[in-house]
Amino acid sequence: MPKKYQITNNIRKLRFFANEMTQQQLAEKVGVSRQTIVAIEAAKYYPSLELAFRIADVFGVTIGEVFSYEVKGD
Amino acid sequence: MSYQEKRAIVSIVTGIFILAAYCIHVYGKYQSGVIASDDLKPWAATMLVFIGIGVIATIIIQIVFHILLSIAIAAQQKLQNANCDDKEIGVRIESEMVVDEMDRLIELKSERIGFGVAGVGFVIALVSLVLNFPLAIMINIVFASFSLASLVEGFTQLYFYKRGIRNA
Repeated sequence: MPKKYQITNNIRKLRFFANEMTQQQLAEKVGVSRQTIVAIEAAKYYPSLELAFRIADVFGVTIGEVFSYEVKGD
Repeated sequence: MSYQEKRAIVSIVTGIFILAAYCIHVYGKYQSGVIASDDLKPWAATMLVFIGIGVIATIIIQIVFHILLSIAIAAQQKLQNANCDDKEIGVRIESEMVVDEMDRLIELKSERIGFGVAGVGFVIALVSLVLNFPLAIMINIVFASFSLASLVEGFTQLYFYKRGIRNA
Protein backbone atom coordinates (compact mmCIF):
# COMPACT_ATOMS: atom_id res chain seq x y z
CA MET A 1 0.00 0.00 0.00
CA PRO A 2 1.46 3.39 -0.96
CA LYS A 3 2.44 5.62 1.92
CA LYS A 4 0.54 8.82 2.60
CA TYR A 5 2.44 11.98 1.86
CA GLN A 6 2.13 15.66 2.49
CA ILE A 7 3.50 18.59 0.56
CA THR A 8 4.28 21.61 2.68
CA ASN A 9 5.35 25.02 1.45
CA ASN A 10 7.11 28.21 2.49
CA ILE A 11 5.11 30.57 0.32
CA ARG A 12 3.94 32.72 3.22
CA LYS A 13 7.50 33.18 4.45
CA LEU A 14 8.79 33.85 0.95
CA ARG A 15 6.07 36.44 0.38
CA PHE A 16 7.03 38.16 3.61
CA PHE A 17 10.67 38.39 2.57
CA ALA A 18 9.68 39.52 -0.93
CA ASN A 19 8.74 42.96 0.34
CA GLU A 20 5.56 41.63 1.97
CA MET A 21 4.04 40.62 -1.34
CA THR A 22 0.29 40.09 -1.07
CA GLN A 23 -1.49 36.91 -2.16
CA GLN A 24 -3.23 38.94 -4.87
CA GLN A 25 0.10 40.17 -6.24
CA LEU A 26 1.53 36.65 -6.30
CA ALA A 27 -1.64 35.36 -7.96
CA GLU A 28 -1.37 37.99 -10.69
CA LYS A 29 2.31 37.21 -11.26
CA VAL A 30 1.72 33.48 -11.73
CA GLY A 31 -1.62 33.82 -13.52
CA VAL A 32 -3.98 32.15 -11.07
CA SER A 33 -6.73 33.39 -8.77
CA ARG A 34 -6.07 34.56 -5.21
CA GLN A 35 -8.27 31.68 -4.06
CA THR A 36 -5.78 29.21 -5.56
CA ILE A 37 -2.84 30.86 -3.77
CA VAL A 38 -4.83 30.73 -0.50
CA ALA A 39 -5.52 27.01 -1.06
CA ILE A 40 -1.87 26.26 -1.91
CA GLU A 41 -0.59 28.12 1.15
CA ALA A 42 -3.02 26.22 3.38
CA ALA A 43 -1.95 22.91 1.72
CA LYS A 44 -5.54 22.42 0.56
CA TYR A 45 -4.41 22.15 -3.03
CA TYR A 46 -1.19 20.76 -4.50
CA PRO A 47 -0.26 22.79 -7.57
CA SER A 48 0.85 21.34 -10.88
CA LEU A 49 4.58 21.12 -11.51
CA GLU A 50 4.32 24.03 -13.96
CA LEU A 51 2.61 26.29 -11.42
CA ALA A 52 5.08 25.22 -8.72
CA PHE A 53 7.95 26.26 -11.01
CA ARG A 54 6.25 29.58 -11.78
CA ILE A 55 5.85 30.32 -8.05
CA ALA A 56 9.50 29.47 -7.40
CA ASP A 57 10.50 31.67 -10.32
CA VAL A 58 8.64 34.68 -8.86
CA PHE A 59 10.73 34.43 -5.68
CA GLY A 60 13.91 33.58 -7.58
CA VAL A 61 14.47 30.35 -5.67
CA THR A 62 14.47 26.66 -6.55
CA ILE A 63 11.30 24.62 -6.37
CA GLY A 64 12.74 22.69 -3.41
CA GLU A 65 12.98 25.91 -1.42
CA VAL A 66 9.28 26.56 -1.91
CA PHE A 67 7.82 23.08 -1.57
CA SER A 68 8.93 20.14 0.51
CA TYR A 69 7.68 16.61 0.47
CA GLU A 70 7.26 14.47 3.55
CA VAL A 71 5.85 11.03 4.12
CA LYS A 72 3.28 10.92 6.90
CA GLY A 73 4.14 8.79 9.91
CA ASP A 74 7.89 8.94 9.31
CA MET B 1 -15.86 34.21 -1.07
CA SER B 2 -14.20 33.76 -4.45
CA TYR B 3 -15.68 34.47 -7.87
CA GLN B 4 -16.00 30.74 -8.63
CA GLU B 5 -17.93 30.09 -5.41
CA LYS B 6 -20.27 32.99 -6.15
CA ARG B 7 -20.79 31.67 -9.68
CA ALA B 8 -21.56 28.19 -8.35
CA ILE B 9 -24.12 29.64 -5.91
CA VAL B 10 -25.77 31.63 -8.72
CA SER B 11 -25.98 28.43 -10.83
CA ILE B 12 -27.45 26.46 -7.92
CA VAL B 13 -30.08 29.11 -7.18
CA THR B 14 -31.02 29.30 -10.88
CA GLY B 15 -31.26 25.51 -11.05
CA ILE B 16 -33.43 25.33 -7.92
CA PHE B 17 -35.83 27.97 -9.29
CA ILE B 18 -36.19 26.21 -12.64
CA LEU B 19 -36.66 22.80 -11.02
CA ALA B 20 -39.22 24.28 -8.61
CA ALA B 21 -41.10 25.88 -11.51
CA TYR B 22 -41.09 22.55 -13.35
CA CYS B 23 -42.32 20.67 -10.25
CA ILE B 24 -45.20 23.14 -9.78
CA HIS B 25 -46.10 22.70 -13.46
CA VAL B 26 -45.94 18.89 -13.19
CA TYR B 27 -48.01 18.92 -9.99
CA GLY B 28 -50.71 20.75 -11.91
CA LYS B 29 -50.60 18.03 -14.57
CA TYR B 30 -50.68 15.34 -11.91
CA GLN B 31 -53.83 16.85 -10.43
CA SER B 32 -55.47 16.81 -13.83
CA GLY B 33 -54.61 13.13 -14.24
CA VAL B 34 -52.40 13.54 -17.31
CA ILE B 35 -49.50 11.82 -15.54
CA ALA B 36 -51.11 8.41 -16.02
CA SER B 37 -51.07 8.90 -19.78
CA ASP B 38 -48.62 6.93 -21.92
CA ASP B 39 -48.43 9.70 -24.50
CA LEU B 40 -44.96 11.16 -24.07
CA LYS B 41 -45.32 13.93 -26.64
CA PRO B 42 -46.73 16.60 -24.26
CA TRP B 43 -44.12 15.66 -21.65
CA ALA B 44 -41.31 15.97 -24.16
CA ALA B 45 -42.66 19.36 -25.28
CA THR B 46 -42.90 20.57 -21.66
CA MET B 47 -39.37 19.41 -20.89
CA LEU B 48 -38.00 21.05 -24.03
CA VAL B 49 -39.67 24.32 -23.02
CA PHE B 50 -38.18 24.11 -19.51
CA ILE B 51 -34.74 23.21 -20.87
CA GLY B 52 -34.98 26.27 -23.14
CA ILE B 53 -36.09 28.46 -20.24
CA GLY B 54 -33.24 27.04 -18.15
CA VAL B 55 -30.58 27.78 -20.76
CA ILE B 56 -31.84 31.32 -21.43
CA ALA B 57 -32.30 32.08 -17.70
CA THR B 58 -28.79 30.78 -16.93
CA ILE B 59 -27.23 32.94 -19.66
CA ILE B 60 -29.12 36.08 -18.59
CA ILE B 61 -28.44 35.55 -14.87
CA GLN B 62 -24.73 34.89 -15.50
CA ILE B 63 -24.46 38.08 -17.60
CA VAL B 64 -26.21 40.13 -14.88
CA PHE B 65 -24.02 38.48 -12.23
CA HIS B 66 -20.84 39.36 -14.15
CA ILE B 67 -21.96 42.97 -14.61
CA LEU B 68 -22.84 43.35 -10.91
CA LEU B 69 -19.62 41.70 -9.80
CA SER B 70 -17.55 43.94 -12.08
CA ILE B 71 -19.29 47.01 -10.66
CA ALA B 72 -18.70 45.76 -7.10
CA ILE B 73 -14.98 45.12 -7.79
CA ALA B 74 -14.58 48.53 -9.43
CA ALA B 75 -16.30 50.26 -6.49
CA GLN B 76 -14.14 48.35 -4.00
CA GLN B 77 -10.99 49.27 -5.93
CA LYS B 78 -12.02 52.95 -5.99
CA LEU B 79 -12.63 52.87 -2.24
CA GLN B 80 -9.20 51.39 -1.60
CA ASN B 81 -7.44 53.75 -3.99
CA ALA B 82 -9.36 56.77 -5.25
CA ASN B 83 -6.67 57.57 -7.85
CA CYS B 84 -6.74 54.18 -9.60
CA ASP B 85 -7.42 54.28 -13.34
CA ASP B 86 -9.61 52.10 -15.58
CA LYS B 87 -6.64 49.92 -16.55
CA GLU B 88 -5.96 48.99 -12.92
CA ILE B 89 -9.65 48.21 -12.40
CA GLY B 90 -9.64 46.09 -15.56
CA VAL B 91 -6.62 44.11 -14.36
CA ARG B 92 -8.28 43.56 -10.97
CA ILE B 93 -11.53 42.35 -12.55
CA GLU B 94 -9.59 40.03 -14.86
CA SER B 95 -7.56 38.58 -11.99
CA GLU B 96 -10.72 38.03 -9.92
CA MET B 97 -12.44 36.16 -12.75
CA VAL B 98 -9.47 34.12 -13.93
CA VAL B 99 -10.12 30.38 -14.36
CA ASP B 100 -7.02 28.44 -13.39
CA GLU B 101 -5.91 24.81 -12.97
CA MET B 102 -7.58 24.39 -9.55
CA ASP B 103 -10.90 25.62 -10.97
CA ARG B 104 -10.61 23.20 -13.89
CA LEU B 105 -9.79 20.29 -11.57
CA ILE B 106 -12.74 21.10 -9.29
CA GLU B 107 -14.99 21.40 -12.33
CA LEU B 108 -13.84 18.02 -13.65
CA LYS B 109 -14.31 16.27 -10.32
CA SER B 110 -17.73 17.78 -9.68
CA GLU B 111 -18.83 16.96 -13.24
CA ARG B 112 -17.85 13.34 -12.65
CA ILE B 113 -19.99 13.23 -9.52
CA GLY B 114 -22.84 14.94 -11.41
CA PHE B 115 -22.64 12.31 -14.17
CA GLY B 116 -22.82 9.63 -11.50
CA VAL B 117 -26.05 11.11 -10.14
CA ALA B 118 -27.53 11.35 -13.66
CA GLY B 119 -26.51 7.73 -14.30
CA VAL B 120 -28.16 6.49 -11.10
CA GLY B 121 -31.30 8.44 -12.07
CA PHE B 122 -31.35 6.77 -15.48
CA VAL B 123 -31.08 3.31 -13.88
CA ILE B 124 -33.94 4.18 -11.48
CA ALA B 125 -35.98 5.30 -14.51
CA LEU B 126 -35.37 1.93 -16.20
CA VAL B 127 -36.32 0.12 -12.98
CA SER B 128 -39.57 2.11 -12.89
CA LEU B 129 -40.38 0.78 -16.40
CA VAL B 130 -39.66 -2.80 -15.33
CA LEU B 131 -41.98 -2.28 -12.34
CA ASN B 132 -44.76 -1.20 -14.75
CA PHE B 133 -44.87 2.45 -13.72
CA PRO B 134 -46.31 4.78 -16.39
CA LEU B 135 -43.96 6.13 -19.07
CA ALA B 136 -44.62 9.63 -17.76
CA ILE B 137 -43.03 8.67 -14.43
CA MET B 138 -40.00 7.24 -16.22
CA ILE B 139 -39.37 10.33 -18.34
CA ASN B 140 -39.84 12.59 -15.30
CA ILE B 141 -37.31 10.58 -13.32
CA VAL B 142 -34.80 11.06 -16.16
CA PHE B 143 -35.49 14.82 -16.23
CA ALA B 144 -35.32 15.11 -12.43
CA SER B 145 -32.08 13.15 -12.27
CA PHE B 146 -30.39 15.46 -14.78
CA SER B 147 -31.63 18.52 -12.88
CA LEU B 148 -30.47 16.99 -9.61
CA ALA B 149 -27.10 16.12 -11.15
CA SER B 150 -26.64 19.76 -12.07
CA LEU B 151 -27.44 20.84 -8.49
CA VAL B 152 -25.14 18.18 -7.01
CA GLU B 153 -22.38 19.42 -9.32
CA GLY B 154 -22.81 22.94 -7.96
CA PHE B 155 -22.82 21.82 -4.34
CA THR B 156 -19.78 19.61 -4.95
CA GLN B 157 -17.92 22.58 -6.39
CA LEU B 158 -18.72 24.62 -3.27
CA TYR B 159 -17.57 21.71 -1.09
CA PHE B 160 -14.23 21.43 -2.91
CA TYR B 161 -13.64 25.18 -2.73
CA LYS B 162 -14.22 25.12 1.04
CA ARG B 163 -12.44 21.88 1.86
CA GLY B 164 -9.72 22.04 -0.79
CA ILE B 165 -8.76 19.43 -3.34
CA ARG B 166 -5.68 17.30 -2.86
CA ASN B 167 -4.08 14.12 -4.12
CA ALA B 168 -5.66 14.58 -7.54
